Amino acid sequence: MTEAAVTVDRLRKTLGKNEVLRGISFEAGKGEIFGLLGPNGAGKTTTLRTICTLLSPDDGTINVLGFDTRAAPQEVRRRVGVVTAEIGVYPRLSARENITYFARLSEVADDDVRRQVDEVIDRLDMSSFARQRAESLSSGQKQKVAIARAIVHDPPVLMFDEPTSNLDVLASKEIRDFMVESKGRGKCVIFSTHVLHDAERLCDRVTIIHKGQVVGSGTPAAVRGSRRDLEDAFLELVEA
Amino acid sequence: MRAAWIVYRKEIVEILRDRRTLMAIGLSALATPIVLTVISQVSTQTATQAYTVGYSGQVPAGLDILLTSTGLKLKAVDDPAAAAKQQVDLGVAFQATEIDEYYDPARQSAQIADTRLQTVLGQYNAAKAAAALQQQGIDPGILTPLKVVGHPLSSPVKAAENSFLSFFLPYILITMILTGGFSAALDSTAGERERRTLESLLMTPAPRSRVLLGKIGAVTTISLTAAVAAIGSMFVALSQISLPGGGGSSPHITLNAVAVPVMVWVALLLAVGFSSLTLALGTLARNFRQGQAYVTPLYFVTILPASIILFIPDFNPSLAYYLIPVLNAVLVLRDAIVRDTVAWPALIVTTISLATLGGLSWLATLRLFTREALLTRS
Repeated sequence: MTEAAVTVDRLRKTLGKNEVLRGISFEAGKGEIFGLLGPNGAGKTTTLRTICTLLSPDDGTINVLGFDTRAAPQEVRRRVGVVTAEIGVYPRLSARENITYFARLSEVADDDVRRQVDEVIDRLDMSSFARQRAESLSSGQKQKVAIARAIVHDPPVLMFDEPTSNLDVLASKEIRDFMVESKGRGKCVIFSTHVLHDAERLCDRVTIIHKGQVVGSGTPAAVRGSRRDLEDAFLELVEA
Repeated sequence: MRAAWIVYRKEIVEILRDRRTLMAIGLSALATPIVLTVISQVSTQTATQAYTVGYSGQVPAGLDILLTSTGLKLKAVDDPAAAAKQQVDLGVAFQATEIDEYYDPARQSAQIADTRLQTVLGQYNAAKAAAALQQQGIDPGILTPLKVVGHPLSSPVKAAENSFLSFFLPYILITMILTGGFSAALDSTAGERERRTLESLLMTPAPRSRVLLGKIGAVTTISLTAAVAAIGSMFVALSQISLPGGGGSSPHITLNAVAVPVMVWVALLLAVGFSSLTLALGTLARNFRQGQAYVTPLYFVTILPASIILFIPDFNPSLAYYLIPVLNAVLVLRDAIVRDTVAWPALIVTTISLATLGGLSWLATLRLFTREALLTRS
């Protein structure tokens, strides 16, 4: 494994009366795609929300590039970009205005905002619809806006929570390509998904969580072991 | 403060592109002149309208001329009491030494006709009595041993105008500040949650207190814009029409110099307080519709204090009453408009009360904004 960018240690979290996370631990390194796998309700989203400081751990610690999420939440947020399946964008702002708004809130210097926004628009091939109001964009285009706003401040840690679940085949491929490209740039990419086929193809290492606990960890090959594919291994682990 | 300014600018841009908010501001600017024009036309119509008096018997000489000149038309009927129920506005049976009058108090036209008849008969009786005394060489002045000479300390017309403004202006100001910002406040909170943008916003390094400050600033701006539009259009309308009580002699109602700064100060306090309050309620809501259900009762809560001046024009409360938000704003404005002075203790208590309301609402909203339930409830 490369140097750790995100370290989650014995993380516990209860929402309402439901104990969602029961002592989860894992490490995601720089320059790798780390897969967080599990069925719906396993606790993947809660884990990501806790890493990006939206939720506070009940117990355990999370460290992002040397910053503890409890002690320095703002420092953590400066270093993390999150893309979710829920591609909420401001409908009455254009794609460019949406991205610019998040660039400014993410503390990109005034002199650099325009350049960095232009860069992500070019990188994600958004020029054709950048000036269009977000309410008129397709789902794939909105997802690109969501990615652009998450990466416009060039964070070293990128988290993708079921990013392809509402997208068609072509748009999904673009997201996957983007994750691979980000890995190539040395980013720590945490990819949460229940689509095991994607995980097997993309991830350098995976952690499988089920009912709030880690049930398997390692490279896809190691987790798969002698089984036919990762899906078989996954089913065996969660049904055990 | 940079983050608050960024949020403020973005919210203003979004609000200005929102048809609902623009319609609310446009309607508030249009509604006031329309209401005032209707009031003016109805009052003018009522003042000039002729009413029918059904009569039987012999009309005393000269009385018919007086009645006709005051807009009372005479019409001979067989049974004045029966006619007064539907056929005419008033029934009168002239007899040798008395007049029997029949009218239905439930009909407004009968009430107006009755008032006019009583006035005319008072003048007729006085003239007849004076003529009889003169014929006998007696000075008619003995009928009025004590003459009243009025010396109004201010213009009665101006007093009537102030009385109208003291009710209408606070009413317009408060309702427009409240309703003008409704849509913007809900869009900025419940709408943000409904569109699934809230999570992304809270994941930025911007402190939540600054995010909230930007939102309150934007909603306050829109509320004040709606109030300025409504009050501006009200004064434009008042310059074009005459209202009841103004006597038609002063077509131009103006606000005195004391009332203007008081109005601006109170409007600012109310706008900040209402913005914080509606944002707090919007933050509690899961979607725009639920937010509307939460904020609508606020409208009724504010209308009641605003109406108190209408029902109790001479309400002179103790200083403690000025602690009640909204009611205090109405009273302070009324004092400034009617009395042309600033009651400083009342204004200070009002300021403390409204600032406290705004501060507590801001703290409540901030608390809601920093709770995990804000995200997990949805």
